[in-house]
Amino acid sequence: MKLWKKLSLVAVLVMLGGMAVSGLAVLNHEKQYNQEKTLESYGQQLKFTAYSLGKELESGLRAGYNQVTMNSYVDFVMRRFEGYQYILIKDGQVISNRTPYELVKPEDERWGGKEPYSVIFKRDNQYFLIMGQGISVGGSSEYKLVLIQDISQLYGDIRQQAIYSLVIYLCAAVVSVVLIFLIIRRILTPLKELQSASLDISGGNLKRRAIVHTKDEIGSVATAFNAMADQIENQVTELEQESERRRQLLGSLTHEMKTPMTSIIGYSDTLLHVNLNEEQMQRALYHIKEECSRLERLGSKLMSLMGLYDNDSICLEEVSIQEIFEKTARLEALPLSQKGIRLEYQCTMGKRRVDRDLFESLLVNLIDNSARASKEGDIIYLAGEKNRILVKDQGCGIPKEEIERVTEAFYMVDKARSRKEGGCGLGLALCARIAALHGARLMIESKLGEGTQISVVFEE
Amino acid sequence: MRVRTKILVIEDDTSILELICMNLEAAGYETVAIRDGLEAAEYLQECRENVVALALVDVMLPGKDGFALMEDFQKAKIPVIYLTAKDDVISKVHGLKSGAEDYIVKPFEVLELLVRIEKVLKRTGRSRQKIQIRDVVINLKEHSVTKAGKKVALKPLEYELLVTLASSKNVAFSREELLNQIWGCEYMGETRTVDVHIGQLRKKLEFHDVIRTISKTGYRLEDSL
Repeated sequence: MKLWKKLSLVAVLVMLGGMAVSGLAVLNHEKQYNQEKTLESYGQQLKFTAYSLGKELESGLRAGYNQVTMNSYVDFVMRRFEGYQYILIKDGQVISNRTPYELVKPEDERWGGKEPYSVIFKRDNQYFLIMGQGISVGGSSEYKLVLIQDISQLYGDIRQQAIYSLVIYLCAAVVSVVLIFLIIRRILTPLKELQSASLDISGGNLKRRAIVHTKDEIGSVATAFNAMADQIENQVTELEQESERRRQLLGSLTHEMKTPMTSIIGYSDTLLHVNLNEEQMQRALYHIKEECSRLERLGSKLMSLMGLYDNDSICLEEVSIQEIFEKTARLEALPLSQKGIRLEYQCTMGKRRVDRDLFESLLVNLIDNSARASKEGDIIYLAGEKNRILVKDQGCGIPKEEIERVTEAFYMVDKARSRKEGGCGLGLALCARIAALHGARLMIESKLGEGTQISVVFEE
Repeated sequence: MRVRTKILVIEDDTSILELICMNLEAAGYETVAIRDGLEAAEYLQECRENVVALALVDVMLPGKDGFALMEDFQKAKIPVIYLTAKDDVISKVHGLKSGAEDYIVKPFEVLELLVRIEKVLKRTGRSRQKIQIRDVVINLKEHSVTKAGKKVALKPLEYELLVTLASSKNVAFSREELLNQIWGCEYMGETRTVDVHIGQLRKKLEFHDVIRTISKTGYRLEDSL
């Protein structure tokens, strides 16, 4: 069963129940009240009549009428009181009955009390009030006055009222049931929007958001839902970008591997099938070896890059940057001196939390890059200050429009030159990745023909 | 002096460039090696007509890429074979539609490259008129073969075999490849057929040490490089 139906049903049942109970209570109270009022008014009337009748009878007795005269006197008096409803009883005998009814038990003592005693009884859908009181005539109480009144009218009124109430009740119930259904449906409509939004999102439309403006719990659920959708969208976008980057990396890798493969296959094929002279054979073998080592370099660089992507567990420790500079300088001393390039370094930076091996490899890569761009006699500066480490060279520089792309894997500004120097287009990609793992970023400034400065800037 | 067919090779990777040139020269072509797109465009501006018979062009080149160079080649009336690592269909279609004669994907086999070059040259009417091996001259126009000036009578299949071997001299053909080339791929003959014809050629042209049997491969017509 749908929630709105459940809620509506419960609300309707509770409301109908409450209305019925209160309606019945009001009706009942009304009935009691009317009955009491009627009894009270008849009681007053009876009392009054009894008192006046008592006075008349007393004067009759004082006049000393005989029995017969007394009886007609009584009859006369009763008539004077318009007593159509009264029965006068003396010593258990009805002496005057102006009512159309017979009193079954005139001797009943209940009608003889000082205060009116009343009984209501029902016969053939008619209600009768019987009320009796003793009349004190000269101190004795042999006279009783009984009032009999048809009070069906009163009950009829009450029934009429009950029917009337029931009609109102039913009308109100129908109207309020409809209203409750509509209102609850309206309150719950945002849930529908939420549901359709979830369906859309699970169907792949990650841009979809639930449009709910209410300030109630549904509104806050929708807000939370939208926040969740934002998060999911971000993550999916990130994943897509990541997989796109990997796809491109793989594509470039295939292409990058094809070139040395073409050489190796081509030269071996040539050696096998073509009649070559000694010198050509030597050249072929030399190229095969060169291309194999290029592949091997590519492989190991790629392995480290992949490792940095897949395994984010780097080992950060407090390391003196000065120490790393010294070690890097030792590592680079020989290759640089062979090219006639000098490395100068200076460090005013204290200790920092870095991964020693990765950071060394970052610096070595940057210096190798600079060395590739430099010519004999150039100087490479390595400096550490405040929150950045920079490597500066006097090499050929990077064209402005290519600076953005140099950190892409396999991107080479000058392919032929880079290849000749043993580059495979992964160095800066590796550096950027290592920097990112340390919460730093690479900043590249370069002027064509004047040199390049690459800074590793730590975000504070 | 022998006039050799000149082929332009444009390729930015040194080792592949040298590989192609090495093979083309072994097969008897003259090569011009260029590593850069702009350099190639410059060369084409200056080159006279009918000097270069064919160009082998890499697509991804520094300066100006191979597709962009097509206009320059068409101006210079040089047929183009693209030689590239781009093996997607779109690049192939683009390359061929833009007017290239052929599209070869790296890595390629030397023999395949030579055969395709030969086919393109034939198609564009730029085949060599004569092939000379030592004192034997093959006149491709007249379908005749002379040895030391004297005419040698060869059966049609023997002639085809000689032309195939001589067109890609110094390169070894397997028996299957020769069968495919000369007898056509439908021919279900035995590879022994090839051996018989080779024997005939050796005898008629005294090519016993020129047409060499390469063990496990096939035959190769060897000539000075």
